[in-house]
Amino acid sequence: MTLARQEIVTQLIDLVGKDQVVTDETVLQESSVDRFRRFEAFHGIFQLPVPAAVVQVNNTQEVVKVLEFANANKVNVVPRTGHSATEGGLETILDNSIVVDGSGMNEIIKIDITNMQATAQCGVSLQELDDRLRESGYTTGHSPQSKPIAQLGGLVATRSIGQFSTMYGGIEDMVVGLEAVFPNGGVTRIKNVPRRAAGPDIRHVVIGNEGALCFITEVTVKIFKYFPENNRFLGYTLDNMKTGFEILREVMVQGYRPSVARLYDVEDGAYHFSHFADGKCVLIFVAEGVKPIADATANAIEDLVAGYTECEQVAPKLIENWFANLNWDPAKLAEEKVEIMQTKNICNTTEISANWSIINDIYEVCMQRVRAEIPDLTLLGGHSSHSYLNGTNLYFVYFYNVVDCGPEEELTKYHLPIKKIIVEETIKAGGSMCHHHGVGKHRATWIEAEYDSSYYILKQLKVAFDPNRIMNMGTIFPLEKR
Amino acid sequence: MNIFVGFTIEPDVEKLIGDDWLVEKGLDVDTSFLKPILNSYGESALEMALKLAQEAQNTQKPMFITALTIAGKGAGPILRTLNALPFDQIVLIEHNSDLRFASRTVAAILSQYVQEHANQDVLLLGQQTSIGANAKTHLLVAEMLGWPCITRVIQIVSCDSNQMEVISQADGGRLRQQVEAPCVLSIGDAPNTYLRVPTLKDRMHSGKRAITVLPADSFELPTETEVLTNLEVVQYRRSAVPLGGQNPKEIAQKLFDEHLKGGIHPL
Repeated sequence: MTLARQEIVTQLIDLVGKDQVVTDETVLQESSVDRFRRFEAFHGIFQLPVPAAVVQVNNTQEVVKVLEFANANKVNVVPRTGHSATEGGLETILDNSIVVDGSGMNEIIKIDITNMQATAQCGVSLQELDDRLRESGYTTGHSPQSKPIAQLGGLVATRSIGQFSTMYGGIEDMVVGLEAVFPNGGVTRIKNVPRRAAGPDIRHVVIGNEGALCFITEVTVKIFKYFPENNRFLGYTLDNMKTGFEILREVMVQGYRPSVARLYDVEDGAYHFSHFADGKCVLIFVAEGVKPIADATANAIEDLVAGYTECEQVAPKLIENWFANLNWDPAKLAEEKVEIMQTKNICNTTEISANWSIINDIYEVCMQRVRAEIPDLTLLGGHSSHSYLNGTNLYFVYFYNVVDCGPEEELTKYHLPIKKIIVEETIKAGGSMCHHHGVGKHRATWIEAEYDSSYYILKQLKVAFDPNRIMNMGTIFPLEKR
Repeated sequence: MNIFVGFTIEPDVEKLIGDDWLVEKGLDVDTSFLKPILNSYGESALEMALKLAQEAQNTQKPMFITALTIAGKGAGPILRTLNALPFDQIVLIEHNSDLRFASRTVAAILSQYVQEHANQDVLLLGQQTSIGANAKTHLLVAEMLGWPCITRVIQIVSCDSNQMEVISQADGGRLRQQVEAPCVLSIGDAPNTYLRVPTLKDRMHSGKRAITVLPADSFELPTETEVLTNLEVVQYRRSAVPLGGQNPKEIAQKLFDEHLKGGIHPL
């Protein structure tokens, strides 16, 4: 039997107390969306069902109580922490959902220097943890643009990646162990060990589950020594992306480990680097670590790039200053809102990955199709920001003016058709439709195509861990009729 | 009506991190690695002019808008963006020397352009730059032209053949004034004036449109009476008191008890 909205609220209050159950209409509306629908939200338009309540949990036991209740009564639960998701993963698409907000679980539990790992609750902001570590000369090595606002639970749940990934890896390379609550109320702790060969790596059931399988309550990540004084910044302009991909590949294949290896096309380069790009692509490297390694890495990359005559080196200070201003904080988000409201010009992105042999083809076909098929674009560009031995990612960036339609049509007129082109062309070519933002709700349509025959494994996770289908329905797994 | 907008392109000094605020020889701070941006007041002036043009087009009144800046070669990307917007003419006065504290020179170029190159009815100028921050260029221009000047303008309500209704900020309130052309309007903190963004198609179409470039030495430049003698970095600091408390409720209570309560008086 489906519980009525008020009954859900009443029972939640019984479980965790009145102070932790928020039913304020404004909060509920804002909790029905994430940044994917920010254009509508800025205009005060909320088209999705608003949740019954936002429950602010303070400890693992409260998460257990709420999930057990939701599971017993088949009420949809949307887990969240920093509320900075970009792909609709936090949208409440079913009536009377419960948003479980773990941002109040914000204790840094332990910084263990001997074993080089830090343990924190899900609501600890990455900025706070990293700032604390840096005071003692350490770092998480994780630095996504959302660092000032994103929190550890969400970062792990979405398989986040940071700007220095080429050296430190993505969040999946950093997570040592964790604690999570499953919908049956079971608390799972994965212990913190350097490596083990005792069956499949079960961390990966939790990392990237986007709240569709469980609620992450605690995370232990590796920490690294921090030597910012040794950082070496390298920047180049060059004529075309194909050469840039070749250089990135060469750097990775030779085994160099810069913390940053990024390639911007002309349009994206002009947006970020108009003061020196001069109508060209831009290639960036940062080498860090202990001085001998940082210097050796930077010198070797300089030698390698010198072999490409179309590359012209620029002053390191240009790159250093750019990095110092890259992250988004609440002030920038507030400014973004004002600017979008006044200009009706909005930026969205889609990130994919592919092997070296096909990445340039995907880039070219997507650029050509989006430019030809989508109206009112003011900028269409792309960059590669995370490279691997066998390939790299591509981050398509598109700005458009929302004209001749209401705010509620922005997604269907612009963002979704662009995403469709990029996702379909990428899957067709053999790449992956998601590199680091997660699937959310708007790429779930293509999840079977993304996984192909291995979708069996993914689907069985949902069947096994969320048999009553209460965990963030519509995220990763497309919504089916109950 | 002929509308003239003078705007400044300046380095984005908000992106200058603490350690880079170094006064170098020549009394300058190195900003060469910063991206040039539109001065915010100039941006407001440009958008206000475009809104006037749109209104004039809707009511089929003739209007010609010129946007002019005095800058070096780094101005290219911003000028190309502006050239894709519906300005009738974009003008670059090429000048590569230090104009941070040279408001008389800037004013001389602007006023001579207005007098010699085109008859203008209304000048929209940004209130001040971020770096020189002299806040007097618009006054000097008005003086050189012998035109009235309204400062701290935040809205142009209407614009007729030679009359405008403008709202400006004044101490303790706002003024709504009817002004007759010719006049200088100095644009202040005007709300809702982020510059619109041209589409890729606009940029493509504007590719062939020429930008008028004039050398600064084609103008009669005055001798600056003010000479920069010293430059110091001013450290702005705020004092702070950690509130303490285990949860938001406790923190709010401490804030009220220890810092606000004494200052709140019963009615």
